[in-house]
Amino acid sequence: MSNPLQSLDPRINRLGVHEVTPETLVPKTGLDQFETYEAFLQKREGAKYEHVGPVHAPNEEMAFLFAKEQYSRRMTCVGLFVVKTDQILTTPFGPNDNSIYDLLPTDNEVVSGDPQVWEVFHLKKRGIQHHHVGSVSAPSAIVALTLAKETFGAERPVVNVWIIPESQIRFTSSEEKAIWDTLKDKKYRDAISYKVQDRIDRYKQGHPNLQSI
Amino acid sequence: MKPEALKELIYKMADDLLILGHRNSEWTGIGPLLEEDIAFSSMAQDKVGQAQNLYQILHSLGESEPDIVAFTRNAPQFHNCQLVELPIGEYDFSLVRHFLFDTADALRWEMLTISSYEPLAQVAKKFQGEIRYHVLHAKTWITQLGSATEESISRLQLALNYAFPFALGIFESSPYEKEIIAEGYFGGEELLKEKWMEKIKSVLNETQLILPDEKIITPVLGGRVGIHTEHLQPLLDEMTEVVALEPHAEW
Repeated sequence: MSNPLQSLDPRINRLGVHEVTPETLVPKTGLDQFETYEAFLQKREGAKYEHVGPVHAPNEEMAFLFAKEQYSRRMTCVGLFVVKTDQILTTPFGPNDNSIYDLLPTDNEVVSGDPQVWEVFHLKKRGIQHHHVGSVSAPSAIVALTLAKETFGAERPVVNVWIIPESQIRFTSSEEKAIWDTLKDKKYRDAISYKVQDRIDRYKQGHPNLQSI
Repeated sequence: MKPEALKELIYKMADDLLILGHRNSEWTGIGPLLEEDIAFSSMAQDKVGQAQNLYQILHSLGESEPDIVAFTRNAPQFHNCQLVELPIGEYDFSLVRHFLFDTADALRWEMLTISSYEPLAQVAKKFQGEIRYHVLHAKTWITQLGSATEESISRLQLALNYAFPFALGIFESSPYEKEIIAEGYFGGEELLKEKWMEKIKSVLNETQLILPDEKIITPVLGGRVGIHTEHLQPLLDEMTEVVALEPHAEW
């Protein structure tokens, strides 16, 4: 085998990575991907949960962890939940200035069975995120949508509606809420706290050949 | 007040956090997947931040400035357990170490919330949020990989077998153990170890991993009194490389 790759970064040298000469033509390997979950975040106590985006993960516990890293790192957060993408029921998208509820056929489906709780989310316009509007109790998703229209249908505009069975959601436990309560005095995490421009300018003044940089 | 006993207690906690924080930061940019890269880097910063808080307390007890204490000592003057100085190895080892150490760390800080030394009790409350996440992170990964595939299970098992004797070194008893307990600074290493064994067993029980039998294992001791592996000094040299170039630079 060839000698390990050399780098100026000592950590890379310690990995002992060898250069691999690729063969001319090889079959493209299939994608080995995790299933997706959607993450929802609450910025402040009492604020509505908002959809923030998807994560790939092998299960909901890992999805929760990844969502915490990906979506709550750079903003204030007091709560987070994840749900498998395919557990979300979505209506078609409606026009920008109206309510999708009004365009859906009324369904008079008669469903018996035990009611469960469904969380309802609205998208106010394209390009922003769905936000939580409330929950309804219904024996099926279709009945839940009808109830959602009765309860939250006055809002305008509503471009798209999501209905999610509450039982499928991985919420933040009350014990876990503390994970966003971190030390405040860590300015060194932000590039902006390193105020060096004046010192760079001073240094350049003393070194005229550096002026052009 | 028993300042020598207090300092001994705080030095070893601070050094553990600084050294493990530095080790974990070595994953920055080369983590096995993006979220893990971020998670390890973020937890590394938390640990270094916590170490800084503790060096600050030591400073108030008459020790040098935090930066001096962190960046100008050599290996024999460090009180961290040997577990935290071991190279990051492969991700399986880093993960198992993170689980073993952080579980002990969380329990230690929980015990310290009732410390009779007020500054320690205060930071113990301040650190709760960060530590709770570190433990959640460790537990989630160990539970996942500890029962996922043959490869993930055997990798974690080998890492666990290797790390466990070093992990027992976390609880190396202090020469001031009696005073530390009697003064109410901290409940003591022996009690901490009992709680820790119970906790890691309960997590490992949810996996296919087997905890090595404590009775037939010799703990790796010495870290608390400055005896270290050959890995610590090179770590310190690397960590202080930039400071050493320009010791009086302003940042």
